[in-house]
Parts: sequence; structure tokens; C-alpha cells
Amino acid sequence: MPAGALQWSGGGRSAAIEMQDVAVIDQPKWPARKAVASPARMSFKMLFEATDKAVTYEDKAKLFRVTGFLANCRMEARVTVPSIGFTWSSDPIDKCPPAAFAVIGNEINGKYYEEETAR
Amino acid sequence: MNRSTYFPSRRGFLAASAAGSAWLMQGGNAWAQAVAGMRSVSDIEPDGPPGPYPIPWLDKNGSHNQPAGPDLEPSHICHFKGRVARCSGFSGSGTDGKNERLLFGTKTTDYGIMDGEYWAARAAQTGTFSHI
Repeated sequence: MPAGALQWSGGGRSAAIEMQDVAVIDQPKWPARKAVASPARMSFKMLFEATDKAVTYEDKAKLFRVTGFLANCRMEARVTVPSIGFTWSSDPIDKCPPAAFAVIGNEINGKYYEEETAR
Repeated sequence: MNRSTYFPSRRGFLAASAAGSAWLMQGGNAWAQAVAGMRSVSDIEPDGPPGPYPIPWLDKNGSHNQPAGPDLEPSHICHFKGRVARCSGFSGSGTDGKNERLLFGTKTTDYGIMDGEYWAARAAQTGTFSHI
């Protein structure tokens, strides 16, 4: 990942990630078995901003705890599939609707969760 | 500590295709074990590979992740502590190369960031991962 692609700010209450020409796979028929996959490229920018709604998600059986905030998240993206000459660009980030659900925070799970709860 | 960064393909990740599976299954799945068995002894990492290990109960469909939502774990990595950001339910529109307007997004159009420490190869590793 290029340096600076992911930026946290506001003490972890905001995150911005921006990547250019990430190698991905275009697989329109997924999840069909043996669905044809084509090399593609994706550029995107995504912004998370915490709201004032704090959340804690914890499951002692599944050994995880999340502490953070519900968030607003917007993104813009550009995709190219060279093999079929396809390109697509989303509307600008300020014109795209936010995600229906977003959360930002800190998580601890697995052995780290066990170690912390054993103290 | 080691630091690594991986960016698996979105659909590849979700579909448990080669790219996606390899990303989170470096930790010792049957396929990896079989492949390891075909290598020379000098290629084998004695403490296991340093890549992140998937969360076992997120493997029902071989996808190593689950939708983003209330009370659901954002991380896809087991034995992890760090910052996370997770979202789902994008919808919107855009323009293709022929200037045609195309909608995008579904309830399961999801993204995620995991940035922190995880345990693998019997040591603390650090890395930044994105589910796109």
C-alpha cells in the first residue's frame, strides 16, 4: 500500500483511504461456481466519520469486543475492465449517498480478548 | 514485529477465489498444508506463515467475512487488536465509458479496514488490510 493511502485522524474517529489502480477481479456471475473472472482495476476513495452514537459490540463466546461509534461513510470509485473495454466512474463522493451502516472504532479478538479478560 | 499490507480483490475475497482465499488462509488450511507438503523442506516456515488467520466461524461459505452490521464483528482476522472501520449498504450511480448512467450497490456492498496487530507465526505481526 502506498504510504499515506490510509489516514486516521481525530483520535481514530475519522478514516480516509484512497487507492489508485488496485488490481481486482471482475466476476459478474459470482457466486456461481466457476464464474468467469477477468482482471480489472479499481480506484477508490472512502471516508469514515464517527457520529456521536457510541457502540460496544461484545460476544464472549466468539471472543471479540468492538468499542467505537456508528459512522457515516461515503465513497467514490472508478473501475476498468480492459478485456471488455469497460470503464465506469461513480458520481463524486459528495454526491454519492452514504452507506446504510458504518462503524468505526477499535476491536480486540481471539487470544488478545482472552488475555485481556483473564486479567 | 513484522509489518505487511495486503489488498485482496473485492469479489475475489468474497467469493473465496484464489486471491481472496489466499489472503486470509495463509494460516494453515488444508489447501495450504497440501501445497506446503509439495515444497522442499527449506521452503517451510517453521513457525507457520506470518499472514493473518481467518476467524473460524466466518467461514461458513468459504468467504472469511460476514456482512457489516450491529453486533457483528468488523474484523475478518482472528487474534487481532487494532483499529477497524466497516460499512455496508452502498448505493448510488455512475457513468460508464459510453456515458450511460449505471446504478451500483446492494445491501451487501461492503468495505472494511483493519489496521493493527495480529498473531501469526508465533509472533505479533502488524499490518493494514482492506476489504474492498
